[in-house]
Amino acid sequence: MCDIIWCKKVKEDGTVCNTVNYLDPFNFWNWEGTIACAECGTVYYIHMIQGWMYRGPEEQPPGTKPDILPVYADKPLEGYVRYRPGVEGRTRPYLCLPRDIYLGVPDPRRFSIRGYPVRGWPNQPPSTGIAGSAGFKWEIEKLSPEVWQEFLEKKKKGEVRDW
Amino acid sequence: MLIKQGKKGLDKKFERIPLEDQPGPKSQEEMDEMKMPYEEYCRKVFDVGNEFVKPTALKGIRWLSTTMYIFTPHSVTNLAELGAEVIKIEMPRMGDPMRHTSPFNEAYVYPLHDTRPMTGTGVACFNANVNEYYISMDYHREEIKEAFYTLVRMSDGLTQCYRPGTFDRWKQSYRYLQEINPRFISVWGGGFGYGPKIWGGSYDILGQAHAGLASITGFHEDFGGHPTKSTNWNIDWYSGTQITVAILAALLWRRKTGLGTKIEFSQVQASTRCLEYGVPLYGRFGIVRQRWGNWDTQLCVHGIIICGKSDYPNDKNPQLRDEARYVMVSAFNDPDFKELCNVIKRPDLYEKYKTHKQRVEAEAQVEIYHELEKWAADKSRSEVTRILKDAGLLAMPVYNDKEVYESPHFRQRGTVRWQADPWYGDAVVHSTYSAGLMSKTPRRKFWDLRPVGGDNVKIYHELLGIPLSTIKEWYEKTII
Amino acid sequence: MGIDRSFLEKPVSEMTPDEYRLMILEPEKDTDHICWNCRHFKPVIKNSNFPPADIIGWCKKIHWPFYWCIPEHRIVKKCYAYEPIK
Ligand SMILES: [Zn+2]
Repeated sequence: MCDIIWCKKVKEDGTVCNTVNYLDPFNFWNWEGTIACAECGTVYYIHMIQGWMYRGPEEQPPGTKPDILPVYADKPLEGYVRYRPGVEGRTRPYLCLPRDIYLGVPDPRRFSIRGYPVRGWPNQPPSTGIAGSAGFKWEIEKLSPEVWQEFLEKKKKGEVRDW
Repeated sequence: MLIKQGKKGLDKKFERIPLEDQPGPKSQEEMDEMKMPYEEYCRKVFDVGNEFVKPTALKGIRWLSTTMYIFTPHSVTNLAELGAEVIKIEMPRMGDPMRHTSPFNEAYVYPLHDTRPMTGTGVACFNANVNEYYISMDYHREEIKEAFYTLVRMSDGLTQCYRPGTFDRWKQSYRYLQEINPRFISVWGGGFGYGPKIWGGSYDILGQAHAGLASITGFHEDFGGHPTKSTNWNIDWYSGTQITVAILAALLWRRKTGLGTKIEFSQVQASTRCLEYGVPLYGRFGIVRQRWGNWDTQLCVHGIIICGKSDYPNDKNPQLRDEARYVMVSAFNDPDFKELCNVIKRPDLYEKYKTHKQRVEAEAQVEIYHELEKWAADKSRSEVTRILKDAGLLAMPVYNDKEVYESPHFRQRGTVRWQADPWYGDAVVHSTYSAGLMSKTPRRKFWDLRPVGGDNVKIYHELLGIPLSTIKEWYEKTII
Repeated sequence: MGIDRSFLEKPVSEMTPDEYRLMILEPEKDTDHICWNCRHFKPVIKNSNFPPADIIGWCKKIHWPFYWCIPEHRIVKKCYAYEPIK
C-alpha cells in the first residue's frame, strides 16, 4: 500500500503543479507531520494511521518548514517526468543508497586499499595446467608484469602500507 | 621395593614419584609461564601471528564437501580451518553458484576458470570454503562414479546439500556409502528435512522467518516497526556452525563405537535454538513475544540510542556521514542509572524510576530513551561515548566495517589482519583467526578460494592414482 | 456489540486517532470483552485466516514484552491495565 499526495497547487504562471508525491509505507505507516511537494515545494500537513490518511493533506502557509520529503515523485500527465529518490531538496535523501563506489557494474581493482596487488580484473592470462589444475602462487611478475611494475612504483612512492 | 620410614626414608619416597606426576612446573619454561601475569601469559600461549607453526586439532580428518552457497560450506570450513583436509566438489566449468552471487554484481576476483576468462568468482564466497582442495565432478556420469566411491573409502565423511533423496537416487546417500565405508559420517543440511515440507528449499531468510526469529527482530509495531531480517545471512553461518558441532560429536562417537552415522539438519528450524524463553512462555501462558528493537525487555537502560552529530560529518559516504551516530549505552543497576541521570542533567528521572522494576516498564523505557536522545541531540557519537565512559558507564559506538577494521581490539587479537591469498592476492581476513576464539591449536587460513577444478590433478592423480591421460580425457568430456 | 462502538457512526473528520485506527482495523469478532474499548488492544482483523480461531485479538500491555492472546470465550469484564480509547 502506498498513499500519494497529488499536488493541485496553481503556480504563479497559472499552470497547475499536478505532481504525484509518493508516500512509502515504511516511513508513513503511522506518521504525522508536514511534507513538501517535490515540484513546487508546497507544504502539506498529513496524519497517517495504519497506512491510511487520517487527516490531510492540508496545505500549510508558505514558509512552513517540511519535516520530510516524499520518497519520489512523478508527473503522469506530462509523460511521467520523474523525481527519483535522493534528489536534493526535492525527494528524501536516500540514506541506504549504496556507497558511491558501488556502481552496479564490475569495478575492476588491481590493488587493495593498502596498495598490494589483487587479482580483481577480468581477462587474466591463462594460468592453470592439466584439467584446470592450479598452483599455489599467483605468479604476477610473469602473468601481469605491468601490474607488478605498477606495484613496485607504488612501493617506491610509499603508497604501500601495512594497514 | 620397601620404603624405610624416617626422615631419610621420606626423602627417598619423594624421589620415587616421577617428575611428571609431581605438582608444579616441569621445566624452566613452564616455571616462567606460571610466574607470568595473566595478560602476558595469554599473549604467549595464543601467540597471535604464529598460527602456522602450531599443531592442528583436526589433522588426519578428511572430509568431502558437496555443498553450495554459505550454510553447508561453512559447516566444513570450520573443519578445514582447524586442520582437516577438505575436498570441495563442484560442477565442471560452473562451480558453486555462490561464485556467481557477488554483491552488486561487481566485486570479483579472477579467473573462475581458464575457459571463462571474463567470469570472476564473487568475493561473497570468501570465508565459506577456506583451505579446501577444489575438484570438479559431474555426478551424473558413470565414468566418475568409481572415483567418487574411492574418495568415500578414503574419507571420514561428507556434507551435502542436495534435495532430500537426490543423493539416494544417485546412490551416494548414507545407506549406500556405509556399505563401502562403515565408518563414514554422512551429513545432509537443507531447508526442512523430512516432514510435511520435505521438498522445501533452504535460504537464510527462510531460516530467519520460519522459526520465528524475524518476527521478534525490528522495532515495535507502535513505532511503525515490521518483522525484520538481519541484513546478512546470519542463519547460514549459524546453522553451518551447528552442523560442525554435530560432526565433531559424530567423530567422537565413531571413536567409541567404530561406526559412522547420518546427520540431518533443518536450517529453518535452527534459530529456535536462539529464541530464548519465547516458546516456553507460549507453552505456559499462551502469549507471543513482542519486538522491542534496539532496547531490551529485561534491562533498562541497556540499548542503542542515536546521537545528533556524525563522527564523519564531511564524508561523502552516507553510511559514514549520516549513520555513524549510534551508541550502545548500558546503565541498568541503581547507582549506574542514577549517575546516567546526573550526566544528562535529569536527576528527576532517577527520582521517578528509582527501581529497576519501574524503569524496565515499556512506558518508562519510552520516556527514558527519549530523554537520552534529547540529551545526545547536539553531540557526536564519540562525545557521547567519552562523556559516559568518563562517568564510569558502559558506552560503545555501533561500529561499521570500517571501524571494525580500524579497531585496535580486533588487531591485537589478530582477528582482523591482512593476508595475501596465494591465488587471488591481497585481502583482509576477518573471520578465520580467532573470530573470538583463542586456542593453542588455533584456526588458520592458507587460502580462501581456488579456481574451479584447481586441484583436479592433486586429488584425482596424486591421491587416487588415476592416470593423467584419463584425467585429460575426463576434462575434455566435461566429466570433471 | 456489548461494548460501546458508537464512534463508528461519526464522520471521519470527528473521529479521534484511536477511533480512526479501530475503524481501519475492522475486527473479525464481536464480543462483550472490555478490551474493545481499550488502548492496548490489537484486534484480529476481518478475514485474516492465520490466528487461532478462538481469540479476539491481543493485549499489548498486560504481558509486555509479550502479546497476550485474548480468548474469545473468556470474557474480560475488568482489567487493571484498562485504559479507554481516546
Ligand atoms: Zn506541487
